[in-house]
Amino acid sequence: MNNILETNNLCKTYLVNNRQYHILKNINLTVKEGEFISVMGPSGSGKSTLLYNISGMDKMTAGEVNFGGEKLSEMSENELSELRLNKMGFVFQQINLLKNLGIIDNIIISAYMAGHKNKDLIKDRALNLMKKTGIIDLADNEITQVSGGQLQRAAICRALINSPQILFGDEPTGALNSSAAEDVMQVFHDINQEGTTVLLVTHDVKIAAQSERILYMLDGNIEGEYIMDKYNYLEDDLKERESRLTKWLLNMGF
Amino acid sequence: MIYKILKKDFAKKKIINSAVFLFIMLSALLMAAGTNMLIELSNSLDYLFEEASAPHFVQYHSGSIDQNEIVQWSAENSLVEKQQIGEMINIEGANTYINSSESEKDTVMDMAFVKQNESFDFLLDLNNQKIELDKGEIAVPIYYMQKRNLSAGDQLIIKNERQELSFTIKNFVRDVQMNPSIISSKRFVVSESDFETLKNNFGELEYLISFQLNNIEQLNNFNNQYSSSNLPQKGPTIDIELLQLLNSLTDGLIAAVVILISILLNLIALLCLRFIIILTIEEDYKDIGVMKAVGIFQSDIKKIYLSKYIIIALTASLSGYLLSLLVNKVFSKNIMLYIGSAPKTFIQSILALISALLIALIVIGFSLIILRRLAKISAVEAMRMGSTVNTISNKSRFSLFKNNIIPTNIFLGIRDVLIRFKLYAILFFVFILSTFIIILPMNFLNTISSSEMVSYMGMVKSDIIMDLRQSDNIQERFKEIQNYLKNDPDVEKSNSYITSKFEIINADGYRENIYLETGDFSVFPIDYIAGSAPLLDNEIALSYLSAEEQSKNVGDTLELIIDEASRTMIVTGIYQDITNGGKTAKADIRPDYETAVWYNININVNKNIKDKVSEYENIFNEVKIYDIGDYFMQTFGTTIDQLRLLMFTAVIIALLVTVLITSLFLKTLIAKDRSQIAIKKSIGISEKDIKIEYLTKSLVILNTAIIIGTIISNTLGQKIVSTALSIIGAPRIEFVINPLEAYILSPLIMITAVTVTALLSIKSIKEFSISDINAE
Ligand SMILES: Nc1ncnc2c1ncn2[C@@H]1O[C@H](COP(=O)(O)OP(=O)(O)OP(=O)(O)O)[C@@H](O)[C@H]1O
Ligand SMILES: [Mg+2]
Repeated sequence: MNNILETNNLCKTYLVNNRQYHILKNINLTVKEGEFISVMGPSGSGKSTLLYNISGMDKMTAGEVNFGGEKLSEMSENELSELRLNKMGFVFQQINLLKNLGIIDNIIISAYMAGHKNKDLIKDRALNLMKKTGIIDLADNEITQVSGGQLQRAAICRALINSPQILFGDEPTGALNSSAAEDVMQVFHDINQEGTTVLLVTHDVKIAAQSERILYMLDGNIEGEYIMDKYNYLEDDLKERESRLTKWLLNMGF
Repeated sequence: MIYKILKKDFAKKKIINSAVFLFIMLSALLMAAGTNMLIELSNSLDYLFEEASAPHFVQYHSGSIDQNEIVQWSAENSLVEKQQIGEMINIEGANTYINSSESEKDTVMDMAFVKQNESFDFLLDLNNQKIELDKGEIAVPIYYMQKRNLSAGDQLIIKNERQELSFTIKNFVRDVQMNPSIISSKRFVVSESDFETLKNNFGELEYLISFQLNNIEQLNNFNNQYSSSNLPQKGPTIDIELLQLLNSLTDGLIAAVVILISILLNLIALLCLRFIIILTIEEDYKDIGVMKAVGIFQSDIKKIYLSKYIIIALTASLSGYLLSLLVNKVFSKNIMLYIGSAPKTFIQSILALISALLIALIVIGFSLIILRRLAKISAVEAMRMGSTVNTISNKSRFSLFKNNIIPTNIFLGIRDVLIRFKLYAILFFVFILSTFIIILPMNFLNTISSSEMVSYMGMVKSDIIMDLRQSDNIQERFKEIQNYLKNDPDVEKSNSYITSKFEIINADGYRENIYLETGDFSVFPIDYIAGSAPLLDNEIALSYLSAEEQSKNVGDTLELIIDEASRTMIVTGIYQDITNGGKTAKADIRPDYETAVWYNININVNKNIKDKVSEYENIFNEVKIYDIGDYFMQTFGTTIDQLRLLMFTAVIIALLVTVLITSLFLKTLIAKDRSQIAIKKSIGISEKDIKIEYLTKSLVILNTAIIIGTIISNTLGQKIVSTALSIIGAPRIEFVINPLEAYILSPLIMITAVTVTALLSIKSIKEFSISDINAE
C-alpha cells in the first residue's frame, strides 16, 4: 500500500499577545491509502490543529506534509484550494455550513465549484448521500430550520460530494445520538470499502473502536498508537474491541 | 454591557464610522458655509446698494439728447425723486493698455470711461468710499484688477495715432451697475479734466439717463411712463431689480450649489448610517436577544444604540461648523471683493450654526426611524438563530440546485444581492446618484453646445448671421449690405430682421414694452412649441415668457400699438427664447426705426461658410459676422467653459464618492462575511472564485444603477433642466445626447473605477483562515 499522507516533524506555533504557544510539536505521522484511523486525546491537545495543518487549511510553522507525493509547503494557495476541493473532504467540529445557502445548496456547492459538467449527476449523488445519512426530507430547508444533528449530517454529505481520496472528520458524530451516529459510521465504512482513506477525531470510544489504528495525542505530541484489524461490522464484536481499546487508553492516562 | 457594546462597535467599524463622521462633517461644513454665503450676500448687497445710492432706473442711449427736455419731464413726473444724466466714453480695447505692452483688443468687455457721478450711482472704492481722483489718476474695475493682477500704482495707457494719455491706477471700482463679470461692460473712473480730454479725443459717447424714484414699488409704472414718453431710448434699459439679480446671480448660484452638495453628502451619510445600523443589529442580534431575555427594556436597548449616533451626529456637525468658520473667507472671497462686507446682526451670525445643527438633527431623526426595527427582534429567535438571515423568505427561489446555466461564482454573487438587497441599498443609491451627477451635466453640455440651441434662443436658423452695430447711418449701411447680398451669386437665400421696441396693451390695460422682431419668418424656419409662423400683418408670435406673462395662447388676440394706433394681432405661434430676458415677439410688420435696437441679416450660402464669413468681414467692417457655430461659442463660450468645468468637477466628485463608498462598503461587507468566506476557502473554493463572487455583486448593482441613473437623468433630469430653464424662457429642452459619451464612455469609466476599487478592497480575503474563525 502507498502512503497517501506523511508528515515530517510537523510543527505549529500560535503567537498570541507576543507569546508563542507550541500546539503541534514535531509530529511524524504516516497514513496509508485506504486506512481507517481515529485520533483521540484530551481537549486542547491539538487534534483539530493537526487536521487543519495536514489538510493545508492552515500554514504549518515548520516541518513538512506530503500528500500523494507532493509537498504542501511548496504548493500555491490555488493549488491547495484545488487539492481540498477535489481530493479531500472535511467535516468540521463547528459544522461550518454556509448561512445563506439552503441544505441542498450547501452540499452541492463544492461540486459545482469543482466545475463538474454533468449537474444532474451531482444532484443524484447529493440526494443519494442525503438518503444514506437520513436527511433526504430536509433538502429544501434553510440551515436555520434544522437541528444540530441534522446539520452535522449535511456537513458530512458536503464533505463526500466530490468523492474525496481522504476524509477528515473532526468529531463528525459529536452532535448525533447513537442510532444516527451508527448510520453515519455506516457511510464511512462504505466509502472506506470503496478505497477512501478515513481520518477521524473523536472522543467516543465506540467510534474509535471501529477503526484499524488509533492515535493518542497529548500536548501536541502523538503519545502512542494502537493497532487493530480492520473492523467488519457484520462479523466483529464491537463490545470486545471497545474494551480492548479502553484498557489501552487507560494505560495512556486518558 | 452597554459600554462594552458601544466600545466594541466603535472599534470594529472604525472605517465606516469615521466615514459617517466625515460625511456629516462635510455636509455640515458646506451647509454652514452656503448659509453664510447667502447671508453675507444679501447683507452686503443691501449695504453696497445703499452706500452707492444705486439708481432705480437707467436708460442707456447712444445718439444726441436734449438735456432740458429730460430735466423738465422729470420735474413734472411725481414719481421721480432724483434724476441724473451721466456720460460714458466707450474706448476700443485696441487703444487701451493696462499695465502691459499688449493692448486689450481681445477683451469681450466694452470699456467705458466715466467721471464720478454727482448725486447718486456713486462709484466706490474697495472700502465702499466714494472715489475722488486728481488729474492723471484712474480707478480700474475689480474685474480687471483680478484679470490683470493689478495693484495701486500700476499704469494704464490710452493711445491712438494722434495722442497718448497715461494714467496711474489709484484705486479699484466697485460698481453697482457693472460689477458682475456677466455684464459685458465695465466702468473706469477718471478725473473731470481727464474726462474732458478723453471726450475730445477718443471713442463714442453714450448717455446714462438715470432716475431714483420716491417709491420703488412704482418701478413698473415708471418704466411704462418713460417708454411712452418722447425721451431718448436708443439703447437698453435696466432697473434696480435686475441689478440686484445680476449682482447676486453668480454667488447666489454658487451658494445654491454648495447647499445642494451639502444635501447630497448628507444623503450619503444617511445611507452609510443605515448600512451600519443594519449591520450592527445583525451582528449584535444575539446580544440584543440576550438583553431582552434578561429583561432590559426595549427603550433602553434603543438608547444604547442611539447614544452612539447622537454623539457622532453632534460632534461631526459641530466640527463641520467650526471648520466652516475657517473656510468662510474662501467661499465669501468673491462677495467680499465685489460687493464688500457689512456688519452682521446676532441672528445672522448664528444662522449658520443653526443650519449645521439641522444636519445633526436630520441624522438623529433618521437613526431613530431605522432603530425601530429593534422592536421586531424576538428574544428566543435571536438567541436560537444568532442571526437575522432567517427573516429572508423565498431564498429557495434562487437555489443553486435549480441553477444550471450561470457559472456558480457569478450566480452566488447575483443571488446574494437579491436576497440581501437591503444591505446593498446604499451602494445602489450611491451608484445611481453618481451616474446622475455624471450624465446630467454631460447631456446638458452637449445640448447647449449643439446647433439645436438655436431653437431655444428664438433664433432663425441660417448659415451666417450678421449683427449691425448701432450708429447714426445704420439704415443706409443696412440697405447697402442687403443690396450687396442680392447680387452675390453665392447666396442661396438671405433675409433681414429688425428688432424694435414696441408697446402692447397688457392684461391690466396698461401699455408695456416688448422687443418685437420684424421680418419675413417664412424664409428661414423657427421652431415653435405651439402654432406656426406669423405671416399676415395682423399676426404675431410670442416667446414662451411673453405668452405666459400675457396669458395668451395660440389663437388669442393681443393689442399692439403701431404708429400710436392700436392693432388687434392674432397669436399664431409660441417659441422658446432665452435672450433679452426671454420676453420677445415676432411679427411681419414694418419696423419702428426710431426704437430699433438690433439689425440682423441671416444668410444661407452655397459655398464654404467660413470663407464667406471672412469675405464679408473684409467688405463690411464694423459689422459682427458669425457662422452659426461661432455664434454659439461667442454667446455661450464662457457658459460652456464653466459647464465643462462643472462637468469635470462632477465626474471627479462622483468618481471619488463611488470609489470611497465602494471601498468602504466592500471592506465592511467582507469583514462581516469573514467566517463565511473562511468556510468557503476551507472546503476548497478558490480565492479567485470568491473574489469573482464579490466583484459580481458590485458590478450587478453598478450596472443596474447605471441603467436606472441614465434613465432618470434623461427623464427627470431633463425635466429639472427644463423647469429651471423655463424661468429664463425655454421650457421644453430636449437633450441632445452623445451616445458614445453617455452610454459607453461614462459607464466604462464607472465600471473600471468600481472594478479596480473592488479588487483592491477585497484583497484581505487572502488572510481569512478557518482556524482563526473557529478559535473565536
Ligand atoms: N487560531 C488560534 N490561535 C491561537 N491559539 C489557538 C488557535 N487555534 C487553537 N488554538 C489553541 O491551540 C490549542 C489546541 O487547539 P485544538 O482546537 O487543536 O484542540 P483540540 O485537541 O481539537 O481540542 P477539542 O477536543 O476541545 O476540540 C488550544 O489550546 C487552543 O487554545
Ligand atoms: Mg477540536
